[in-house]
This record gives sequence, C-alpha cells and structure tokens, in this order.
Amino acid sequence: MDEPHTATGPVSDPGWYRIRVQGRLEKRWSTWFDGMSLTPERDGTTVLRGRVGDQAALHGLIKKVGDLGLTLLEVTHETPDTSAGPRR
Amino acid sequence: MSHPLIETKLFLPSPRPGLMPRPRLRERLDRGLAAKLMLVSAPAGFGKTTLLVDWLASAPPRAGTSARAAWLALDAADNDPARFWRYVVAALRTAVPGAGEGALALFGDSQPPPVEMVLTTLVNELAAVDADIILVLDDYHVIDSPSVHEGMAFLLAHLPARLHVVLATRSDPHLPLPRLRARGDLVEVRAADLRFTTEEAASYLNGVMGLELGAADVRALEGRTEGWIAALQLAALSMTGREDVSAFIVGFTGDDRYVVDYLVEEVLQRLPAEVQDFLLRTSVLDRMNGSLCNALTGRADGRSVLETLERDNLFVVPLDDRRHWYRYHHLFADVLRGRLLDERPGLMDELHTTAATWHEQEGDIAEAIQHSLLAKDFTRAARLVETVLAAFRRDRREATLRGWLEAMPERVLRSHPVLGNALAGARMSTGAFDGVDELLDATQEWLRSGEYQPMVASHASAVEDEEYRRLPADLAVHRAGIALVRGDIEETVAQARAALDQVGEDDHVTRGAAYALGGLAAWSTGDLDTAHASYAACLVEFELVDHVSDVLGCSITLGDLEVVQGRLRQAARTYRSALDLADRHHAPVLRGRADMHVGLAARHRETNDLTAARRELSRSRELGEHAGLPQDAYRWRVVMAGIREAEGDVEAAIDLLDEAERLYVGDFSPPVRPVAAVRARTWARHGFVDAALDWADGVGLSLDDPLTYLREFEHLTFAKVLVAEYARRGDGGDLSHVVAFLDGLLLVAVEGRRGGSVIEIQVTRALALQQLGDLPEALHALGAAVASAEPEGYVRTLVDEGAPMATLLLAAERHAPSAYIGRLRSALVPASTSGTPSSPSRPGSADGMPVDPLSSREREVLRLLDTELNGPEIARELVVSLNTVRTHTKNLYMKLGVTSRRAAVLRGKELDLL
Repeated sequence: MDEPHTATGPVSDPGWYRIRVQGRLEKRWSTWFDGMSLTPERDGTTVLRGRVGDQAALHGLIKKVGDLGLTLLEVTHETPDTSAGPRR
Repeated sequence: MSHPLIETKLFLPSPRPGLMPRPRLRERLDRGLAAKLMLVSAPAGFGKTTLLVDWLASAPPRAGTSARAAWLALDAADNDPARFWRYVVAALRTAVPGAGEGALALFGDSQPPPVEMVLTTLVNELAAVDADIILVLDDYHVIDSPSVHEGMAFLLAHLPARLHVVLATRSDPHLPLPRLRARGDLVEVRAADLRFTTEEAASYLNGVMGLELGAADVRALEGRTEGWIAALQLAALSMTGREDVSAFIVGFTGDDRYVVDYLVEEVLQRLPAEVQDFLLRTSVLDRMNGSLCNALTGRADGRSVLETLERDNLFVVPLDDRRHWYRYHHLFADVLRGRLLDERPGLMDELHTTAATWHEQEGDIAEAIQHSLLAKDFTRAARLVETVLAAFRRDRREATLRGWLEAMPERVLRSHPVLGNALAGARMSTGAFDGVDELLDATQEWLRSGEYQPMVASHASAVEDEEYRRLPADLAVHRAGIALVRGDIEETVAQARAALDQVGEDDHVTRGAAYALGGLAAWSTGDLDTAHASYAACLVEFELVDHVSDVLGCSITLGDLEVVQGRLRQAARTYRSALDLADRHHAPVLRGRADMHVGLAARHRETNDLTAARRELSRSRELGEHAGLPQDAYRWRVVMAGIREAEGDVEAAIDLLDEAERLYVGDFSPPVRPVAAVRARTWARHGFVDAALDWADGVGLSLDDPLTYLREFEHLTFAKVLVAEYARRGDGGDLSHVVAFLDGLLLVAVEGRRGGSVIEIQVTRALALQQLGDLPEALHALGAAVASAEPEGYVRTLVDEGAPMATLLLAAERHAPSAYIGRLRSALVPASTSGTPSSPSRPGSADGMPVDPLSSREREVLRLLDTELNGPEIARELVVSLNTVRTHTKNLYMKLGVTSRRAAVLRGKELDLL
C-alpha cells in the first residue's frame, strides 16, 4: 500500500502529465481531477494536463477517469520545460 | 463478535420491475456454472449488477437442484483481510445457514488466523454442503490489497465443485486469469457483451420506457451513447414526459460533451430546486437513510425524497427489504460529486463533517472515522480512532487501523503519540517494519517532554485516558518486539523488563506480551530457568483475560522448555492442563489444541508407549488443520518419524522428516531442534554415516565451535555422527577429541540446568567412551544418565541408540542390575510390529536375499539406477526431492550390501529385482 505521508515509501516521481480521454469534458471537472487543466481538442477528445505528485497520485487520476466511464486514450509524461513553453 | 456486520452489504437486490431480459447474457452465465470463475468486467454504468440480479432471480433449477445465491457488496474497508473473509463467510451463511462454522470460529481467536487456514477450513466445510452456491462479490475493483487477492487465488485453486464464484468489477482483478482462461475455468462477460445492441436499445427505450421512438432516433441514441446503459437510461429519463422528444434527440446527438454530464444536467434541470440540492448534498454518502439525509440537507423529508427518487428511477438502489437504506448508482454519485466540487467548493468537507457527527451519534465509529478523514478533520478522526484502538487491536483489525492512521498527516500522529505508537504496532503486526523506529522515537520524545500529565487531564474519556496510561509500557513492548526481530537479545530483555516495570497490574495483555518477549529472549541465550518463569507468568496473564489461544501457544513453549530441562512429567502436565482449560472455555475447536496432543505424543514416545503416542497423534489430526498452530504440521511429522523409527521402519521415518523439513515454519522461538539435525541423528543410527557427515559439513559444524545453547542440539548430533563414523571405520582417530567436546557440552548443560540435555550428552559420552575402550568410564557416564532418566521415565533416548547401547546395558546389568535397566534392555528387543528391528541393521550378507525386502519405492529407484539418469533426473522422474532419492538409494545399498550404483544394479540383477 502506498504511504504518501511517510518518507519511507517508493521514491516519488514528480512531473507533468497529459491524459487524453474521449469526449468533451467541461472545465467544471477540473476540481474533480485534482485541479488538472482541461483542454477540449478539435478531434472530440479532451486533454487533462498538470503536475502530478507521484505515481500513486497518477494512478488515482486514472482511476477517476474510469469512475466516470470515460474512455482513456493516452497518458504521456512531459517535462516542465516543454509544458511551460508556448503551445502551437 | 464485537463488530457487527453491516447487513446491507449482504443484501441481494431484487430485480427492478420492467427489467429487460437479456437471454444471450443469461445463457453465458448459465454456462459459467461449469467453470470456476465468472468475471463480469466492465466500466461503471454497464449494468453489471443489474445483469447478475436478473440472472439470479431468473435462474432455472440447474441439474435438479436450485442454486443458492450469496451476495456481498464490497467497499474499500474490505481491503482488511480479516474483514473481507468475515464478510465472505457471512454472505455464504445467508445462502446456507450454519455454513462455515469452523472458519467463523477462527475469527474469535485473539491471534490472527492465517488466511490460508481460514480458507482451508472453509473449503472443507463447503465441500460437505449439499447445494450449489453462487457467491457474488460485487464491486471487486475496490480491492487492492495483495493479501486479499492471494486469498482469492487460493480459494479458486481449491474451489469446492459446487461453489461458483462471480466477480463484478470495473477492472480485471489480480488473479491468474490467463491460466484460468486456458483451462476453461473462466467465463467472462465484458463491456462489449454488456453494451446494448440496437435491438436491445429499441426494446429498452420503446418497450420498457414506452417512448415510441422511430428506428432512426433509436440508432442515433445508440450511436451517441455507444450502447452504454447508464447513458441510455439517463437519456430515457430526460425524454420521459417531454413533448419535444425529437428536439432533445437532435440536441443530444449533435453535442459532443461528456455524455453523462450532458444528460445529468438535463435530468437535474427538470427536477425541483430542493431535489437538486438534496441530490448534490447526499452524493457524498456511500449509504444513506432518511435520517442521515436530513442531517445533510437540514430538512425533514429525507425518507420520502428517497422513496420518490426510487419510484422515479433516479438512480437510487435500495439496500434492504424495508426501504430503509439506499445508495446511489456509483456513476451517478460520482457525477453529482463532480458537480458539487465545482459548484459549491468547500461544501464537501462540511458535508463529510456532518455525516461524521451523525454516525458518531449513532455509535458507528468506523463510519464516523471514515467521514472525518474525508472531511480532513484529522483532530476528530484522531480522537475517534483513540476510542476504538483497544477493540480493534483485540479483534486483530490492524490492517484497518493502519489504513486510517496512514491517512493522517504526520503532525497529527506526532501530537497524538498513542496513535503514532498504534501505527507502529499495526505496521509490525502486518509485517511492515519501515518507519517503525521513527514512530516509536517520536512517542518516546513526547513522553520525555513531560506533556504527558496535562494531556491526560484534558482527555475526558476514560477509554482514551486508559490508552495514554498504558502508552509507556506499550511502547516498550513494541521496542522489545522489534529488537527480537533484529536478533538483539539484550535490548529485547531490557525493553521487556521496562514494560513490566511500567505496566499496570490489570493490563494483562500488555503484561503477557512483555513476559513472552522476555521469555523468548532468555530462551535464546539458554537461560531456561528465566525463560520458564517468564512463560509461566505469561500464561497466567492470558488465562486471566481468557485469551485461551494465547495460553495454548504459551503452553507449547513451556512444554518445550520443560523437556530440555529434563522434566518430562511436568511437560505432560503442562499440555494436559492447557487442554483442560480449552475444554472449559470454548465449544469450537481452538487453535493450538492439536499442538497439545502432539506434545503429549512426543512424551509417550519417549516412554516407549508407542500405542499411546499414535493415539495422541490421531487425536491431533482428527481435530483438523485449523486446530493447529502453523508449526503443528512439521512437529507432528517429527514425532511420527520417531514412532516409525522405533517400530523399525527407518525409510518411513526419513520420508516423514523430509516432509517435516519442507513444512517447517519458524516463529519467534529460537530454532533449537532443527529438523535436519533430527534426520542426521536418524541417519547416523542406521548406518548412513556419509549422509550424516554431509549434513555436518553443510551446516558448518566443528569441534572447535564455541558452545552456545542455540547450537547444543546440533553439536550433540555432530558428536553422535562422529561416534558412528568411528564405529564404522574401527580406528581410534579423533575420538578422544570427541569425548573432550562432549565433556565441554556437559559442563555447559549442567551450568544451564538443562537436565534433559545432560541425559542425552551422558548417553552419547557413554557410547563414545565404550568405543574408546574405556568401559569403566563408559559405565560411569551411563550410570549418571540412568540416575536422572529413571525418575522421568526416559526410554527412547537410550534405546534409540541400538546395538552399541545394547552392549553397554548388558555390561551395566552385570555390574549393577536394576529393574529400570531390565526394562531398557527388554525395550531393545524389537517391538512386535510389521517393521523390522531398528538395530542392528547392518548391510546384508553377500549371498542369499537381502536382509530386508526392498520397498516398492526402492525398487523403482533401483530400476532407474539401471539407466543413464543422474540423481536430480531420477528425482524429477519420481516427483520427489533429491534428498528422498538419496535416502532411498542409501537404504537399498544397505539392504543389498553394496556401496556403489554399479554394484547395486549387478546385485539387483542377481536377485531378479531388475
């Protein structure tokens, strides 16, 4: 089991993630997804992006995708540099 | 049971009226009854539960009997294996009243039963039930505990033929699915199967919901929802009673928003504002009734709103027959929670706090703790956990405690040292030692800082006050436990003593634990008197609080100690009084009971009453596996091996010892009588000196070793092996060194007041001195052994030594005859059993038949020796261990009077054995 509040657990792997799901998810779901930003794309998908505390938090987010019955399309890791840069 | 079961978890929902039959899926589930596992695996809202409810209600009688359904709705708290399996047994008992009695009794123990033992018992009990049982575990995806998954895998591997397991889950479980699939033991219903086809969508929308939609509209809806049932239901609900159905369909199918979001919005908009508010507020609850809803809404109409929601198909699911408890459909609840977070930030925590208060007032502290944690009201959670600590520890619900405590921030644990200390204990008892030292240090620091008294005064409740009072002693017990795990004996003793200094007179559990830890530490150093006194005290403490299983556990250790002390009669009394206590206290069979019979069997064997010894072993076995502690399986075989050897069946004895070695499980007790050493003694006594020497080599024994109690048994075994080696070779060699080594062992054993060891050492010295040709000294040593052995009724310790002992006893009888020596001599005449004499069984003569006929196993080995196969290959061929092959080989060499493989094959051919 994960023990997020102790220093003895697995080394945390902080970083930025993009999670793409099928369908257009409104911005209101941002809170539900722990404050991730929600961007609807032209192809009818939605990209959730933001900083994830560690692997356990990432798995928690993916579980939340599943709880809503959303179709998970993609999970990618981004470095803070690229995500901070200007987009398209 | 002090923790009542939540009945709603076991409630088998009834099918909703107007449910759409789905024959293709029913048939598949019917087929699943021939498999071990039915897996209904699909995301939220695919109608998994509905399908199973419908199937169970419609199930036609199968194979002449009707199957009975056992239903269990899981939640996250079921990751505690103790809770999970208790609920599984409870669910099975709803289907077959009285089932799983033995498994249930195991939970009454104060020691946590190993899950395998519970399951073995359960499987055996269910195999005897004359009915098909369908066990449905709904929402299995909430389970992420590896120990629960392991238990499920074990259950599936040993599943009784008439038990059928169904898992409904959003994600595939951690079970060996590919293997089950490959063997045809798995029948699956997955998302693709559950989706409504266009025909099903039409029959649902038009038939069940009465919407009268055209084919194009149905196809459009089916396309937009992709057959997702929850979405189709929401859509149907949005259209019911609407005049502009076509406009709705155009709007909905033309929108690309998350489908449930769109539809929930549609549904909510059509509800009165107060119902919308009701739904949002109560969405934080996993289970609700009218009164709880009222607490959250501040209104008084909770019950009637719930009934209306159910009637209007608004995604509430009744959890009992009385329409008292309900829950929301999970997907609907999640979507409502998402809206709540967005629309009323902050309200969520407030609602959880209110729910916690309501549950606390109702006396459901576990739920109150859960809601406090969700409300991030850690102060309250901490206070509540403190009040239930003692009860949860007593019921071995450490996994639940650990979950709660690990959800709390470190600062809270630091300011509530009782909790930090409890987390340390919960981690240790669940096998996790990480971070335990830090937690204990923090507790110690807090105690030292002197905040202790004022905090106690500010704590109102007597229960909490009690927890704080026992903190220093409890802390010391934890420190002692972790020191013992690390092998730090001094620290263990020091902390156990500190615990006893600080513990209250009436805190028997802590006192018992401290005595036991101190006793174990003393035992490891060979201080048996102290160890014995500690264990005797520990036993009294546990007896005072009726922890009978712990008393039985202590009695085994006490008995072991008494045997080493040479007090055989006292050991038998210890086992008997423990059995009496168990008889007086509990109807169901208690764990540790079987071990008492094994202990008695060993005493009977020593006095050469083999019939009584066998009788005790049968009693132990009749009680069943769950009546034994984990060590019972191997101890039973060691004693049986001794009986078989005494009866002359050395081969069977060695096989049993091989098994015992495989089944060996350690506990905190020091491993003072390793099975391998017992086997080496047996080998040495029966001419397999090389194997015994290999053993000594393998464990690294030498005559120069420092003499510690922990290795006393091995050292004495080593001396016996060397004496046998001398007898075989017939030259003087190092035997005087062996005698000197035995003199050293004797001195240390006398100093340690280990009377039993002294007898064994003197017996071995006598044999060594006899081989050395010093008969007067040999008789002197034997006389010393006999003087101590006679009052306690020892026989086998002397008689097991066989021919050399026979010679020595004859000389002793001539020298100074006695009734006891006469008894020993007559015991050396082989018992009238089917076996052969235990001694002297030297290799058979070169002509004629072997001394003993070969066993069928030995003939098989002989046949394989006549091939190209090497030892490991022969072992694989026979599906036995290499050790067993070696034993058989040595046996058959001895019987054939040969010393090589080639000679064995030749001799076998001469005797027509090949």
